[in-house]
Amino acid sequence: MTSEEIVKKVKTDQGEAIHSSEVNLGDSVLFVGPERIHDIAEYLKNDPDLNFDYLSNITGVDYLNEEREPRFEVVYELHSIEKNHSIRIRVGLDEEDPTIPTVSDLWKGAHYPERELFDMFGFNVEGHSNLSRLIMPEEWEGNPLRKDYPLTIEDVTFSHNREFKQDLVKSKPPTR
Amino acid sequence: MTVTEQGLLEREKDSMTLNMGPQHPSTHGVFRVVLEMDGELVDSAEPHIGFLHTGIEKTSEAKRYVHVIPMTDRLDYLSPPGNNLAFCLTVEKLLQTDVPERAKFLRVIMCELARMASHLVWLATHALDIGAMTVFLYCWREREMILDLNEEISGVRMMTSYIRLGGVAKDSTPGWLQSVHNFIEYFPAKIDEYERLLTHNPIWLDRTQNIGVMSREEAINWSMSGPVLRASGVNWDLRKQRPYSGYENFEFEVPTGKNGDIYDRYLVRVAELRQSHEIVKQALKKLPTGPYKVDDNKISLPNRKTLKSSMEALIHHFKLVSEGVSVPKGETYVPVEGPRGEVGFYIVSDGSNVPSRVKLRAPSFMAIPGMCKMMEGCFIADVVGIIGSIDIVMGEVDR
Repeated sequence: MTSEEIVKKVKTDQGEAIHSSEVNLGDSVLFVGPERIHDIAEYLKNDPDLNFDYLSNITGVDYLNEEREPRFEVVYELHSIEKNHSIRIRVGLDEEDPTIPTVSDLWKGAHYPERELFDMFGFNVEGHSNLSRLIMPEEWEGNPLRKDYPLTIEDVTFSHNREFKQDLVKSKPPTR
Repeated sequence: MTVTEQGLLEREKDSMTLNMGPQHPSTHGVFRVVLEMDGELVDSAEPHIGFLHTGIEKTSEAKRYVHVIPMTDRLDYLSPPGNNLAFCLTVEKLLQTDVPERAKFLRVIMCELARMASHLVWLATHALDIGAMTVFLYCWREREMILDLNEEISGVRMMTSYIRLGGVAKDSTPGWLQSVHNFIEYFPAKIDEYERLLTHNPIWLDRTQNIGVMSREEAINWSMSGPVLRASGVNWDLRKQRPYSGYENFEFEVPTGKNGDIYDRYLVRVAELRQSHEIVKQALKKLPTGPYKVDDNKISLPNRKTLKSSMEALIHHFKLVSEGVSVPKGETYVPVEGPRGEVGFYIVSDGSNVPSRVKLRAPSFMAIPGMCKMMEGCFIADVVGIIGSIDIVMGEVDR
């Protein structure tokens, strides 16, 4: 199916569950709320015409600098091995309560990228079997890929001028 | 021990926790796995990653697009051109520009040479893990030649950064093309040599057949990609399914396996060595003439000769060096087939010269949970075989 056909089919079948859809640079894109993402994912996987059996990627994005609502986004890339087509699902997440249900019951490959979302962005992935730090150490504080996490300054363990450096850590992220 | 009703001895389950890595030669980098052992058998395997975390994704958010390219080399450090290509294709898609034919062919040649080099490292270390020392030395010998080719065209042996936005770093020389040709002529006999050592070797068969089996459905569900997926019988190669960078011009086969065990992965990768060789051969034959980068001075640097006579060229040169490429607002993802599987960058641009988010979809990262699933129920001696057969690179796992 072409991207246009995929978007059209999803729109007719699941029109009330998706916020909007588009074909962006040739890719089919769906915008879904976190409360319906699991239903949509299940539909995309099990529908015989769409048959998205392969989860390629899950990404978190922080739109802090663009000042838009909602602040976060989780992006799913799905392929269908059988039909050779793809889709992208973008799920907006609120800053106050970044909670999203897991899709690891549908695609087991989602375990690691979802843990990474928890680790790097601090999203609460509901229903995940082992939601713990993946890449950063267990005792790490903060979520490094958030835009308000400083890029250049490390938390100092020892310094004669501790107060000064602590202020630096709390200061704004470096501008370009 | 207790005696059962049938008079047999039954051992009480007494599990032992065994730590493997991160400093272990057979974990191919700094991968740590905690094995729950029941005697010789693995009950469960828990992976631990993050020892090579370099924060490249975060750093990219403060670097211009051009400056991200050398960092992509360090992700999958066994095949840097594949990463360069994935990154450049994604940015070029956002810029909605198309590169000249000659650049596409040079990119393909570099990527396929890198695939050969990467598979050679895999074969060398994988065979060494299982105990075949000679193959290691043979593969290193041929890989050295590919690194020499890299050096000749880009000046660097491993981290080439040869593929740039809008084309490649510089044009190939007739001498380099001749060197590639010589290598291509020489290489197939060497693949036969590796196969003579391993393919029908009874020890190799014993150590690889029916070990680390992953069925077709499992491989898809666990998001395995590349040779591991194909060894499980899935005909999925992005070079064929979603031709990019002119792969539709080449005739090659996608080797697939049947059983999805370590031996099939070995066969698939060796067959891929031959297919890559075939692609490079065709690319050398069909290499078109023409420019090697786009004729758009907002993306690639103007020709050095024009700088002294053209005012626009000088301005563009200055702007491009001091500000870099500004990419239109948007986000996209272009998957390419790396040696380990699907490599792709999800790039979010806010319209400036610095990416807002760069996320690498790394095949090794996605393969680790599936790999640990394979270890369950196997002998401890086969754990190194399984790790080797997946061909993980920790640079792209930890990023």
